[in-house]
Amino acid sequence: MKKVILIFGVLSLLIFIKPLLGFSSNATDTTVSASVSQVDTTVEKTFVDEAFDGMKQFYHFTGFANAQSGHIIMILIGIIFIYLGIKFDYEPLLLIPIGVGVMLGNIPFVAGYQTGIYEEGSVLNYLYFGVVKGIYPPLIFLGIGAMTDFSSLIANPKLMLLGAAAQIGVFATFLGALYLGFNLPEAGAIGIIGGADGPTAIFLSSKLANGINVLADGTTVKNLIGPIAIAAYSYMALVPVIQPPIMRLLTSKKERLIRMKPPRAVSQKEKMIFPIVALLLTTFISPSALPLLGMLFFGNLLKESGRTERLAETARTKLIDIVTIILGVTVGASTQADIFITKDSMMIFGLGAISFVIATAGGLLFAKFMNLFLKGDDKINPLIGAAGVSAVPDSARVVHAEGLKADPHNYLLMHAMAPNVAGVIGSAIAAGIILSFLG
Amino acid sequence: MTRILLYTDPIVEGYIILITGLLIVFSGLILLTVFFKYGLPIMLYIYKIITKGRDKKVKDISPKVNQDFTGEIAAAISVAIHMYLDEQHDEENAILTIKQARKLYSPWSSKIYSAYSNRF
Repeated sequence: MKKVILIFGVLSLLIFIKPLLGFSSNATDTTVSASVSQVDTTVEKTFVDEAFDGMKQFYHFTGFANAQSGHIIMILIGIIFIYLGIKFDYEPLLLIPIGVGVMLGNIPFVAGYQTGIYEEGSVLNYLYFGVVKGIYPPLIFLGIGAMTDFSSLIANPKLMLLGAAAQIGVFATFLGALYLGFNLPEAGAIGIIGGADGPTAIFLSSKLANGINVLADGTTVKNLIGPIAIAAYSYMALVPVIQPPIMRLLTSKKERLIRMKPPRAVSQKEKMIFPIVALLLTTFISPSALPLLGMLFFGNLLKESGRTERLAETARTKLIDIVTIILGVTVGASTQADIFITKDSMMIFGLGAISFVIATAGGLLFAKFMNLFLKGDDKINPLIGAAGVSAVPDSARVVHAEGLKADPHNYLLMHAMAPNVAGVIGSAIAAGIILSFLG
Repeated sequence: MTRILLYTDPIVEGYIILITGLLIVFSGLILLTVFFKYGLPIMLYIYKIITKGRDKKVKDISPKVNQDFTGEIAAAISVAIHMYLDEQHDEENAILTIKQARKLYSPWSSKIYSAYSNRF
């Protein structure tokens, strides 16, 4: 303790001496022009002045001097994110890094010292590189692939269609964005929020609405990565709030009580064949989604092959954690107030909410439509249609919870996982299609 | 891939993308569905023929073969194994010694050594 006090004392002494040293050189300057008697007073004045100037200079560099209302609002939003993550457990693994990122990105600073995320050469800018170039999303998909068990989908392949039906949300939002006056690539990037898939949304917006691409008529697209990613992730976190009312609205009590027969056991061979076949089929259909789908099924093969458990383990734990940390913080930090608080962002948030509603409704209604053709115990519980939005595994859990509310012994989780993972595949394909049309 | 020119009405193009996009997503997933519904069983069946059904399923194993093998025998074997495993102990040396790691003294880095020895 003594040592600490001593070191602190020496340091503070050094700091206080510094202006004195500066003053001594100044004093020699003044003595050249002024008389000796005046030296003392000028010395006194310059010292105080300089100290004061220094303080002023320092104050101009602080956040207090540069703070604008936008910064304060965004910092509050960041705190709300952290609060939601901690208090209500809404995807805390995402909301807490993003919340901290939002705070980091909105600390007011003086531009030009390589501090901010949009300044060339700053540390945050280098980390943000992976977002801008779409590097992180495929890595996240690798981890998701290594986590996901596709067996319920293999057991009941027709549930794959529910994952496709929920992509109506993507294309409907795309159209809505066009009507609101966004140009085509921007609208495409906004539409993918309806896919309810954070990595896919970041991937597509980094390719389409990155602020770099130039359209045919010479205008540059806006940089919408920040708002789109924040909208996608915050609505994903809010899935337990958004989905249940729509589910109750669109399904009758009787439909919610439908019990589905347990999925058949799936052999290891089928599980191994699935990623390879699905990889080939989906990427041949939509090659633009190659980075996402390729990594997704690669991760799944690592898991299912039974020989690469080490790699699968790394992909689904350490790797995805590292990428999530960096992705969350940089996406949060990209919401720098002067770039983020715009009319566009507000519209994106509005469209995002609508797209989630449409996607959920699309899945539910398509499940009811499928039920028209299915008989007996082949009938599906329309609730699982809502899991077609790909927020894995949150929407499946929401479906499960809703099913339990209607019938405490109806366990829908396994069934809901099928459209859920199909939704991931579906939204990646949709992203690929939009990219091939507009990229 | 034909690219649609961007000076066409974006709304019209939006509808085109909407329809084609949905069609492609659906057809893609329908293709997957059909494959896993029909293609995969056929593939597995062919594989089974090629390997002449080497891997039997549980239901294929006839219960008659093991008729003499009753639950009592199984219980006896399990008890024997259980008792055998229970008997096993790892022989461990009871004398625990912690060897003091010898640290070379060097006037250059004496501070850092003392700092380390405090920590560990």
